[in-house]
Amino acid sequence: MNPNEEFEHVSIGVPVSSGTFDELMVSQATLDAQVLAEQDEGKSISPTRAAIRRLTRDRRAMISLGIIILIIGVSFLGPLIYTHIGPTITGGPTLQDQLGPQVYHEYTHQELTQLNQPPSAAYPLGTDQLGRDILARLMAGVQVSILVTLVVITFDIVLGLVVGTLAGFFGGWIDTFLARFTDLMFAFPILLFAILAAATLGPAFIDRFGPSGRLLLVSLALGLTIWPQMARYVRGQTLQLKNQQYIEAARCVGGSNRALVVRHIVPNLFNIVLTAATLDVVGIITAEATLSLLGLGVQAPGSSLGLMISDASGQIYIQWTEVLWPTLVLATLVLCFSFVGDGVGDAFNPRTKD
Amino acid sequence: MSSVLSSAIAVIVGIVVLALLVLAGFRLGLRFLLRRLLGLIFVIIGVTFITFIMGYFAPGNAVYNQLGQHYTKEAYEQLTHFYGLDLPWYQQYGNFLWRLLHLDLGHSYINDADTVWTILQRYVPASLQLGIGGVVLAVLIGVPTGVIAAIRARTRVDSSLQGVALVLYALPSFVIIPIFDIVMVWLHSQGLPSLAVSGWGTIDTMIAPIIIFGASIFAYYVRLTRSSMLEVLQQDYVRTARAKGISERAVIWRHAFRNALIPLLTAVGPALAFAVVGVFVVEVLFNIPGIGTETVAAITQRDFPVVQGTVILLSVTIVLMNLVTDVAYGFADPRIKSE
Repeated sequence: MNPNEEFEHVSIGVPVSSGTFDELMVSQATLDAQVLAEQDEGKSISPTRAAIRRLTRDRRAMISLGIIILIIGVSFLGPLIYTHIGPTITGGPTLQDQLGPQVYHEYTHQELTQLNQPPSAAYPLGTDQLGRDILARLMAGVQVSILVTLVVITFDIVLGLVVGTLAGFFGGWIDTFLARFTDLMFAFPILLFAILAAATLGPAFIDRFGPSGRLLLVSLALGLTIWPQMARYVRGQTLQLKNQQYIEAARCVGGSNRALVVRHIVPNLFNIVLTAATLDVVGIITAEATLSLLGLGVQAPGSSLGLMISDASGQIYIQWTEVLWPTLVLATLVLCFSFVGDGVGDAFNPRTKD
Repeated sequence: MSSVLSSAIAVIVGIVVLALLVLAGFRLGLRFLLRRLLGLIFVIIGVTFITFIMGYFAPGNAVYNQLGQHYTKEAYEQLTHFYGLDLPWYQQYGNFLWRLLHLDLGHSYINDADTVWTILQRYVPASLQLGIGGVVLAVLIGVPTGVIAAIRARTRVDSSLQGVALVLYALPSFVIIPIFDIVMVWLHSQGLPSLAVSGWGTIDTMIAPIIIFGASIFAYYVRLTRSSMLEVLQQDYVRTARAKGISERAVIWRHAFRNALIPLLTAVGPALAFAVVGVFVVEVLFNIPGIGTETVAAITQRDFPVVQGTVILLSVTIVLMNLVTDVAYGFADPRIKSE
């Protein structure tokens, strides 16, 4: 039996707790019509594939996904090309030095004769208050955002999945632990914890791991605190799956607890984990930018969108475009991820939205 | 003077919490009361322990740093003793909790004439004005907007309100603030009337931070109110009310809206946690002399007791607000009792 089919049956029983009820019902009606139409053609499709199809038809989510891929692609591949294009400029300490783009398009290079420059041929988006190329720093900043997101989301999914399934399936002390820990985290906002961690352990991490030590610490702090929400979703879903007949059937034919969890529960958690993770991405990007903005994340030679905004805020009377670029990139990233998150939520959990 | 004031505040806070719990106990039963109380104690111990232990294991010797070139062995020992840093960790934590009960958060490392408590007293008012102003504004405008969106569900009014709410909800305030700054600087350079981009205390400096801080909470409440209202409007009793011939206005405000408010109450807790972080960012970017700016400054100066103090203050505030929310929820929805 395809376990995913079971999932669709399960979600019928889930009450619609919030979200736009009418829209869901409408989308559900069209969805059912679609499935029926496809079945008429003689082929039935798995719910997962149906969800992906629904997602690809969500124009807002697809455009956003395209923009995200474009931004990430340019940020990771762009520097390879960018350090080879651009005119040779005169600058450097003696002013007679000829500088090629491989020098001044380096995101850490400070060209002290070129402070707060407006956009030009050499500097497509201008320079900041230390004469660093803004486009190069933007690309480096997006790289940081994405890397932090990857690390934190891995923690989120792994810890959330393990603790959530164990708490839901076995209950007992691990369930109590999860409940208490979640209570604690409700009172202790993630960012507050990260701020505390940066304040106490930051210097040690910088000594040990160099300038990016603070960043590593921030990722760890976010990763270790973000998962309770995910675990709660997973726990709720596991509790419902646990009482399904197919689990009972699997147990009857002699399935061990481990086999039940790994083979029959976890695959059915895919939808809820995917949805929660996509929505968490927005929070992580914002959290990293916030910490860097407050001076607790990425440190000076490194780049981060938050750090760029905080640096450029002081230059607003001199060169106002400086603050515009990182703001625009961050806003675009955050909005696009929100739209994709909404789309994934609608497509994969058409009846449950929360 | 300060100790009299702080113990007075402690007594008042204690009485309020106790009164709330007793009230909740009468209304919701002893079990509810005990569970809440245990939860409260657990969370406060958890938060203080995490804050304490991170400070304890933080490398770098604050006393040594503070003495700097005035370092002598006697002075070092004296100061270590003054801060109680020569004791084993469990005794330090015990002392820390004991002093916390008396609202004594210790002395600042940077300026030992100031206790952490006096520093907090200096910076809390601005944060409180900003926070309360923003939240009140957001709720007062957000809830009716959400109701309107729900009444006009699936019309152009609804979809544009939803769009605005989604954008405001997703965009962090540090994306909105620079754009605001750019506009204000431009207005100023054109000789047009503009708002201040930093400072606090006068009306023209307070308008922008409060509105920008409130924007995301506003969006949160619009979305929440809308979905809550939509769900209530589906209910049978709303249909009954309509069938009785009650005016649409009365149906919406007297029958639907009151019930839709219940889920909104539970959202106060998460909204507050969200708000605390928002306050940090808005304060730093607008140069507001509040608790966020002070915490960030204390972190860069490694003034750990101050960081500890603000973290504990903020999380205890959130715990108490959650308690108030729970109690209010119990009153608003009697069904919670049977749970």
